[in-house]
Amino acid sequence: MKLQVIRRCVQLCVILLVCGIALLSLYAHYRSARVIHDPQLMAGMRGEIVTQAIHPWVDSLDDPQALLDGNKGTLWSMRLLGVSLTDPLAAAEMLAASKHVHWPLLASIVIPVVLTLLLGRVFCSWMCPAYVLFEIAGKLRRLLHLAEIEPADVPFSHRNKYVLLAVGLALAAAASTPIFVLIYPPAVLSRVIHAWIFGTAATAMLVILGLMVAFELFVSPRWWCRTMCPGGALYGLLGWARPVRVRLKRDLCTGCADCIPVCEAGINPITQSSSIECDNCGVCLRYCNTQALVFTIGLPDPLRRRSSKPQSGAGGKRGKRSKRGRRAAALTALALTATAAPAEGHHILGLPHYSYKENYPQRPTLEYPATTGPYDVLLTSYPGVPNPGEPANLAFYIKDRNTGRAYAEPVTLRVLQTSTFGDNTIVLPATTRSPFENEFKFYVTFPTDGEYVVELSMPVEGRIEVIPFLMIAGRPSATASMVIVGAFGSVFAFVVARAVRRKGHRTAGRRVLAEVGI
Amino acid sequence: MSVSRRDFVRQSAAVGVALGAGGYLAGLAGPRATAAPPLRPPGALDEESFLATCIRCMRCTDACPNHALVPMQDRDGRGGSGTPTMEPRKAACMLCATEDGDFLKCTEVCPSGALQLVRKDREDIGAKVAIGIAEIDLNLCYSYNNWSCGACFRACPLAGEAMTIGRWERPTVHPQACVGCGCCERACIRYPHAIRVMTGRA
Repeated sequence: MKLQVIRRCVQLCVILLVCGIALLSLYAHYRSARVIHDPQLMAGMRGEIVTQAIHPWVDSLDDPQALLDGNKGTLWSMRLLGVSLTDPLAAAEMLAASKHVHWPLLASIVIPVVLTLLLGRVFCSWMCPAYVLFEIAGKLRRLLHLAEIEPADVPFSHRNKYVLLAVGLALAAAASTPIFVLIYPPAVLSRVIHAWIFGTAATAMLVILGLMVAFELFVSPRWWCRTMCPGGALYGLLGWARPVRVRLKRDLCTGCADCIPVCEAGINPITQSSSIECDNCGVCLRYCNTQALVFTIGLPDPLRRRSSKPQSGAGGKRGKRSKRGRRAAALTALALTATAAPAEGHHILGLPHYSYKENYPQRPTLEYPATTGPYDVLLTSYPGVPNPGEPANLAFYIKDRNTGRAYAEPVTLRVLQTSTFGDNTIVLPATTRSPFENEFKFYVTFPTDGEYVVELSMPVEGRIEVIPFLMIAGRPSATASMVIVGAFGSVFAFVVARAVRRKGHRTAGRRVLAEVGI
Repeated sequence: MSVSRRDFVRQSAAVGVALGAGGYLAGLAGPRATAAPPLRPPGALDEESFLATCIRCMRCTDACPNHALVPMQDRDGRGGSGTPTMEPRKAACMLCATEDGDFLKCTEVCPSGALQLVRKDREDIGAKVAIGIAEIDLNLCYSYNNWSCGACFRACPLAGEAMTIGRWERPTVHPQACVGCGCCERACIRYPHAIRVMTGRA
């Protein structure tokens, strides 16, 4: 049915919008720094996207700055074409945490609230990018079924989310800090997209999303959206009296119950399409053979409970080819996200300035503070993460906390490479230095990618103190992430192979049964 | 899907207990009082109200023309994950000096009032911007150690008010006028840098 195509398009548009706003913001940074035409600074994937795709288009507009200023933020709160839009949950939570009414924030939730009052929980089913993610997880469960690895199907009460909403708001009020923003998937996901486009780390957020997806895959299907999401709870409550809702034409319903297993909200469309759990996704309309389920616009009616028990009937052919197509599209999308290449970092921004030293400005630098006795020790390294084979400039600044004077006695440095198996290798044997201009300077060459211990020994109150600093050279984590990606990939390949083989077995078994005439 | 009242109560209680425990553990994690509060954007409320009011939408980090504002990682368990902070060493606040518009851009886009609107003139900036105050380490500053530099003074947008310069280009910070934009820290050619923006709101 066309409706689902439109829904997929809207979902895709929202995801593209979040990516697009982040890309425009990235471009705005480059534009403000006036570096678009510097080929050296604009090297790499991000630079190419900015210079090839965004710059010619934005620059040809009449007022490029208005476009750049008018589009900022994430799905949690966004400025879209100059209009401020905020998730009602964000406003509710900020209200609870700060106990302070900020009228512009309330004004920015008007459009989403009015939309929800009219259309119900459509943010969930038509716009939320996390909903797409969890829908994909739901489809992957079918792959597990095919591979005969039965995932569990633990039922949770749909009312949990209202409890979570109330408890979370109460906690936010008690702790004076918002909590949902840390776990609310559309906010988390749009922050991940932002971090991904800006090239910053988003590990903790990915862990939260990964845990949710894993839980949905193996324990309870569509667990978050159906039973946990505080945003969904709020939208559901707001959409209680929505005029646009799914209605059942009772005279057309054959009671085949085909709509029940496909319902994204996990309810029974025959009896519960008027409830606040329904998110108006319209999937049940597509699977209804007799067009008994329709969207209607009308005055809100009170919740009706029907006791008619649906009889199970034969479920006709339901577009197997299109289902396979969708699965292929989902897998392709997953594969595409896995191939995202890390671009080189750009360090382009800041005031134009003359330089006194060849290594100015010294970034990225590493600063590593430590204390021993009355002394504050600061290790500085340029570059912060040295490349293997290139000398790194390590400087120690040691200051007496009480007198404010710099430490003037010689100190000793030793550098070891740590190894998971076997002994540590000595990279720099113990070297003693006197300070130069109140600093202790060492040039150290790290031979390979890996983790190193920089050991500073200095006399403190009559004894020798050894302070270890952990340093990383090159990109040792690249190996670890390759291992993780490889492991997940092989598990996935194993499940697919098993699914194909089991399917083959089943077909062969059926053929044998047919031959003997059963 | 029907759930008996007993199941409902039981599951609700479980959710509540889990949330409470999670919140409590999150509160316990990390040393609370040791770390200095992070640098906040111009026009920010005081740290406690800021943490309560900021909704972590990343509009200000998007809007900062110098990309000085970046979303913070939660390091000290204060729940500051995703709130804006800045590292002047990497990129300092330019007080939107090179940009069009009447207001500082981060304060203009903030939806929640965590950043109060700051007009782009000297009076309003002096009155409302308090990112921190620059401090000079006399052991490290070249001008105080037999050299002559003056890089920080040349970078200071409020030169003459927030910072003055003496013989041998020795800088002096005047805390009552310094807004903590960090341009001096960004410009300092020594490392460890001799001038740093410190939060005065510990």
